[in-house]
Amino acid sequence: MWRRVALSVLTLFVVSIVVFSATQVLPGNAAYAVLGHSATPQAVQALEKQMGLDRPAVKQYWSWFSGLFEGHLGKSLVNGESVASLIGPRLENSAFLVAVAGLVGTLLGVLLGLWAALRRDKPVDHVLSVTLLALTSLPEFVVGIVLVLVFAAVLFHLLPAVSVISPGQAPWQALKLLILPAATLVVVTVPYLFRMVRAATIEALESEYVEMARLNGLSPFRVLVRHALPNAIAPTVQVIGLNFLYLAGGIVVVEFVFAYPGIGQGLVDAVSDRDIPMIQFSVLALAAFYVFMNIVTDVISLVATPRRLFR
Amino acid sequence: MEEHEQDVVKSNGMNRQEFLTRASAGVLGATVAGGLGARAAMAAAPKPKKGGTLRCGFGGGSATDTVDGDNVINNMDFARTYQLYDGLVAYDQNAHVRLQLAEEITPNKDASVWTIRVKPGIEFHNGKPLTADDVLYTLRRIVDPKKPLVGAPTLSYLDLKNAKKLDKRTCRIPCHAPFASFVDTLPNYTYFISPVGFDLKKPVGTGPFKFQSFTPGRQSVFVRNENYWDGPPYLDSIVITDFADEESQINALLAGQVDVINFLSAPSIATVQGRSGANINIATGASLLQFTMRVDAKPFNDVRVRQAMRLIIDREQMRKVVFLDHGILGNDLFSYWDPVYDRSLPQRKQDIPQAKSLLKKAGYENLSIDFITAPMGQGAVQMAQVLAQQAKAAGVNIHLRQLTVTNFFGPNYLKWVFSQDTWQYFPYFPMVAFSSLKGSPANETHFGDPTYGKLYKQALATVDVKKRTELAREMQRIDYEKGGYIIPFFPPTIDAYSSKVHGLKEGKTGVPFNQHNYKRVWLS
Repeated sequence: MWRRVALSVLTLFVVSIVVFSATQVLPGNAAYAVLGHSATPQAVQALEKQMGLDRPAVKQYWSWFSGLFEGHLGKSLVNGESVASLIGPRLENSAFLVAVAGLVGTLLGVLLGLWAALRRDKPVDHVLSVTLLALTSLPEFVVGIVLVLVFAAVLFHLLPAVSVISPGQAPWQALKLLILPAATLVVVTVPYLFRMVRAATIEALESEYVEMARLNGLSPFRVLVRHALPNAIAPTVQVIGLNFLYLAGGIVVVEFVFAYPGIGQGLVDAVSDRDIPMIQFSVLALAAFYVFMNIVTDVISLVATPRRLFR
Repeated sequence: MEEHEQDVVKSNGMNRQEFLTRASAGVLGATVAGGLGARAAMAAAPKPKKGGTLRCGFGGGSATDTVDGDNVINNMDFARTYQLYDGLVAYDQNAHVRLQLAEEITPNKDASVWTIRVKPGIEFHNGKPLTADDVLYTLRRIVDPKKPLVGAPTLSYLDLKNAKKLDKRTCRIPCHAPFASFVDTLPNYTYFISPVGFDLKKPVGTGPFKFQSFTPGRQSVFVRNENYWDGPPYLDSIVITDFADEESQINALLAGQVDVINFLSAPSIATVQGRSGANINIATGASLLQFTMRVDAKPFNDVRVRQAMRLIIDREQMRKVVFLDHGILGNDLFSYWDPVYDRSLPQRKQDIPQAKSLLKKAGYENLSIDFITAPMGQGAVQMAQVLAQQAKAAGVNIHLRQLTVTNFFGPNYLKWVFSQDTWQYFPYFPMVAFSSLKGSPANETHFGDPTYGKLYKQALATVDVKKRTELAREMQRIDYEKGGYIIPFFPPTIDAYSSKVHGLKEGKTGVPFNQHNYKRVWLS
């Protein structure tokens, strides 16, 4: 376990070096990005000096890296505000959206999957399976735009079309703004989970020990909960974990469609502005989330598979 | 369109000094939005109502956003700085230069010394009265050699070291060389007046709205300046939100989440038009969206190739494809609204045989060349695509290379041989200083014709408007014959707003809503 944590920290360190190197290869730098149209050679030179971009790359990386240990994440190159104050709220917004979409999606995926498994080959199962299969083929921006057209901008005006959370406002204070982006993410993540739960449950229901339990006269509910489900948990948790990881990436597109001020949008901005401290921290936050989710899903499936736990 | 022409003819008849000495407010009120602007139901309703918040969903911003009125970088910044600050002069709705904070700006007889007097009784948002010190402070802050702001290069003639305050409201600024285009240079968005000791953390100006909050790349809020010298605005506040995507801007407008949106593409006109509660505004501005040919690089160092490229383009077709016929046809000359703009030069039209023969004479038959494009403004990339298509007729093979905007304006900007660029409207002489002289800060075409430079110097020492106009005409003939720009048309500025919003006007400089002027805007 501790080895795992140490490896994770090492991973993050390597990520930070890779990302920093990548920013060095991109054409232009933050000085050009800030000056844009007004980038005369003199102005660029003056600004590069001011931003510390005239120093050797290794030195720039070291000053950022050593800053981490003194507890500061640095300042945005392009507007001078602290990285923490710029990314903190965005991180909060994104995390909340991922959490809401992830929880709703998980609940819905598991319940629908169970239902379909219990009603195997009945009409409900067919309708659910075909519908969700069709949905998997839609990319999230299509789902998002369709939802906006139907519920916000054109057909009905029930919900907000864009989810602009004002600076200083927490996402849970504006739940109405979260409905469509969360729904979009749910629509794109549920089908996979549904199929997994359905398949795993059916497999468990067909096993000999479930057959045995049934023959022993246990109620169908008890058979499902006590005997079939525990064996479907391990593969399901893996998929739920994967879904959360997918959300962390897929959210970039959804944030764009809904103008949601999250970390994805911030990262896109940071890359186009060549704002190295912002890029570094955003990518590290996402990478840390990946590492963390991987550990969590591994631990849960380990716990859910007793025979592996004691090996 | 006819109304525009009339406006211009009128202004040609009126001399520049007359413009400048007229009270800005009076003239502003008297001019009426022309053409499409007027048609778009912009007439102010009879009884304006006080109060309310104008919610703007604007494009073109990023984390580089600023509220510094003298260091404006991106299109979003205009929306903010026009609320916070005023300039010594400003464009009116016809893109003519009017006095704003200045009561008087007068040159000596060869325009080498300028006297500026500001209006009395104007206060900054913090209560500090506006004085000549603030004018000198602002100008010195802009040209500070240690940390020059974006407007520094075009003020290089001013000798601010030897500038003197004459009395509380008056100062005198000598110049290193005659600078007759000083007043035309000043309405630029990089020359807003800020008070002595300006602090970017608490930005203070004399503008119609006061600063409340600002988060770069996300949102900013401004509240009514009750003490505004030109009469307090009707709106309580303005909330400006950054949008990264046109689609979400339109959705937000249609869902009633914002009241005004800007910088739309032509196809969006149909999306917004006909929807209840939303209006579209198509301003025939004269911002630039021009092709650039480097006159010092092959093949364009041969003037015949430049002339051929200008003849290859079917301007009307290009405008139709890209902007659905909106916008003003161009003649490879810039500064359309400046009274010195030469309307007597024949309109250039597509002439493939002539273009082919010019290319043949220059030894560039079957020319094959790279063109660098980027989505720097609505229609930019589409224009390049149409150009490549049209050039085939003359046997010219244009390969498009599309970059991201950041890469385009990166280290190779101003070095592309065949490319394009975009600028908002500037009067003629400042635009020349900015783009077309040896050492100009944005000389994309590397133009540096010696005769042209000489005429420019002469014009800057000429205070007489008539004589200066003649010199400008001579210069424009050089632009027309030898220049490195192709200006097929001046693109329209397409903005939309909710029908709850009244009193919005379209200007002609390419900056939305008459330079983001919300002083007389109200909500029903």
